[in-house]
Amino acid sequence: MPLWLDLLVRVVAVVAAFLVVPLVVGQMEHKVMAHMQSRLGPMYAGGFHGWAQLVADGVKFVQKEDITPRDADRPVFRLAPLVALFPYLVVLLAIPLGPGGLVAQPMDVGLFFVLAVLGVGVVAVLMSAWASANKYSLLGGLRGAAQLLGYELPLVLSAASVAMAAGTLSLPGIVAAWSPWWLLWQAPAALVFFVSGLAEIRRPPFDMPIADSELVFGYMTEYTGLRFAFFLLAEYVGIVVIAALTTVLFLGGWHGPDPAHLGWLWTLAKVFAVSFVVIWLRVSYPRLREDQLQRLCWLVLVPVALAQLVLTAVVKLAL
Amino acid sequence: MSEQGDRHTPGRGLINGLAVTLKTMTRRSGTQQYPDVEPELPPRSRGVIALLEENCTVCMLCARECPDWCIYIDSHKEEVVVPGAARARQRNVLDKFDIDFSLCMYCGICIEVCPFDALHWTPEFEYAETDVLNLLHDKNRLGDWMRTVPPPPAHDVLGEPSKEEATAARKAAGPGAPTPAQTARPAVRPEPKP
Amino acid sequence: MTVADVLLLALGAVAVGSGAAVVTSDHLVRSGLYLVVSLGAMAGLYLVLGAELVAWVQVLVYVGAVVVLLLFAVMLTRAPIGPSPDLDRPAWPALIVGGGVGLGLAALLADAFRWTLYDRPEPGTTERMGTQIFGQWVLPFEVLSILLLSALVGAIVLSRPDIGARTGEEA
Repeated sequence: MPLWLDLLVRVVAVVAAFLVVPLVVGQMEHKVMAHMQSRLGPMYAGGFHGWAQLVADGVKFVQKEDITPRDADRPVFRLAPLVALFPYLVVLLAIPLGPGGLVAQPMDVGLFFVLAVLGVGVVAVLMSAWASANKYSLLGGLRGAAQLLGYELPLVLSAASVAMAAGTLSLPGIVAAWSPWWLLWQAPAALVFFVSGLAEIRRPPFDMPIADSELVFGYMTEYTGLRFAFFLLAEYVGIVVIAALTTVLFLGGWHGPDPAHLGWLWTLAKVFAVSFVVIWLRVSYPRLREDQLQRLCWLVLVPVALAQLVLTAVVKLAL
Repeated sequence: MSEQGDRHTPGRGLINGLAVTLKTMTRRSGTQQYPDVEPELPPRSRGVIALLEENCTVCMLCARECPDWCIYIDSHKEEVVVPGAARARQRNVLDKFDIDFSLCMYCGICIEVCPFDALHWTPEFEYAETDVLNLLHDKNRLGDWMRTVPPPPAHDVLGEPSKEEATAARKAAGPGAPTPAQTARPAVRPEPKP
Repeated sequence: MTVADVLLLALGAVAVGSGAAVVTSDHLVRSGLYLVVSLGAMAGLYLVLGAELVAWVQVLVYVGAVVVLLLFAVMLTRAPIGPSPDLDRPAWPALIVGGGVGLGLAALLADAFRWTLYDRPEPGTTERMGTQIFGQWVLPFEVLSILLLSALVGAIVLSRPDIGARTGEEA
């Protein structure tokens, strides 16, 4: 296979995954959330149990008028949704689906790459918040920036723990080094990573930057139509990315019966299971208050992550 | 017991919250899929009011008691020649009987006060209109609803017998029999009548 | 010219251009956003040169944290949309200092390397990086960590008036 064809196949596969998996997760959110609230959720779009609801939503968003507020900083305002979406697309490149190089772009520093690119998302939050020329947007954006900066620390620390355990920064390498007893050994790190990941993608119960009951819709208040849809898509891709990273780092990725052939299936199954938990948490818990959010980060997650680092080092040296 | 003592172990509330949502998810949802599945309405639901024209004597009780004044009645008098009678009888004939369901508040007072059972509740509720004027149902339309009136529910076997039944029974038993007031709470419950 | 050369030139142009925009833009927040572009282009330069880890550290630390903190602080204090003509920006001294530093560095590099061509080292993998940092460069690395740690402790002390007050009474 020539290089360009190989590259094309990989890019097309990633873009397809980028467009399809978030929709599946979004539909799952619709239905799971509905049933957890003793509702049925969408039932009509597409015929069978409303499977095409998100497609219909997409069509609706495309038809809507694209409004830019008069006082807004136009170029920044219009660029922000793309900046929000782009990092997640790039992150998907590095996530291994199965053994034997079933990854769009094998990278020696995959973990670092993923964390670095995820960190860019906060720029989009600040851009959209400031450029909207709306006080609710600005408040939401500042909350978001404080939250994202704070939670990046436990996220990176807990990821560092598993990288220490595996002795590599490459994501396929980490999965290859994984063994079932890590579930116990790395459990605190997994928990910290998952929780701070939730906060990174601003999902309930960590959705203070959006907080519709206090800030209208936070930094997304002024967005309409397709640009708003981009933000929504970014949220769902965010779920997929955090679920995939949790799977790859802590749940053993493709490990399962017959990993050589069914590895991709195990990875996908775990990703969807973690996504289910993300939705489950959203339905079950009310939003944290801003000070509770920061307390949780600095007084619980960061110390736990540091303790886990020490534990990992001790076990690693003892073995 | 201090305030702290009442608290449960930390994290228990979180687990309970998750358990509640998970349990709800496994149960059937409470959603009524109305246009696809007909709702199971309780008997005697207040959907719309039906008119049995033959029973109406144009006594105007319903129109007068209606809190919303949403019943409009017009009538004229007719002479009925009864053979053998000294002079012709007069009878009220109904010309118009309209109920404006855009005003009606479904209190059911008209049905309660009707002395001759000319008005009935029916559980039909699908008579929405795109024009509010069409919610004024005339007597033909009200009469059409009679087809949907459910049969009256069976008597409560433990309840007091109706006055007619009690009177008939007393007459059959002859003088000196107990009055309905005395039989209202019998020591031994009567067998249900077939 | 190889692909790498073209990329280097293009990324360098982006970095310099957006860097110039940072200091010339009248829009306060946009300056910060140009800084993001500039630092991102720098990361791209590192990538082309094969220093993957450095590139992503650049993105993680500078784009993801430092500039964001900067923007955060600007938005907390004053962030008007549109140009701010009242910015205190002495053009001539800045030009002299900036140009002087640029010229001086260019002269220094030109003097040091004198058009000699060097082979590119093999790409900086994590393993090589690790052995270098914790072997050859372990002392500067640890000294740096102590510096950062003391800065951290100092920041905490400064931000907590209760600690400062108590030591003030004892002294």
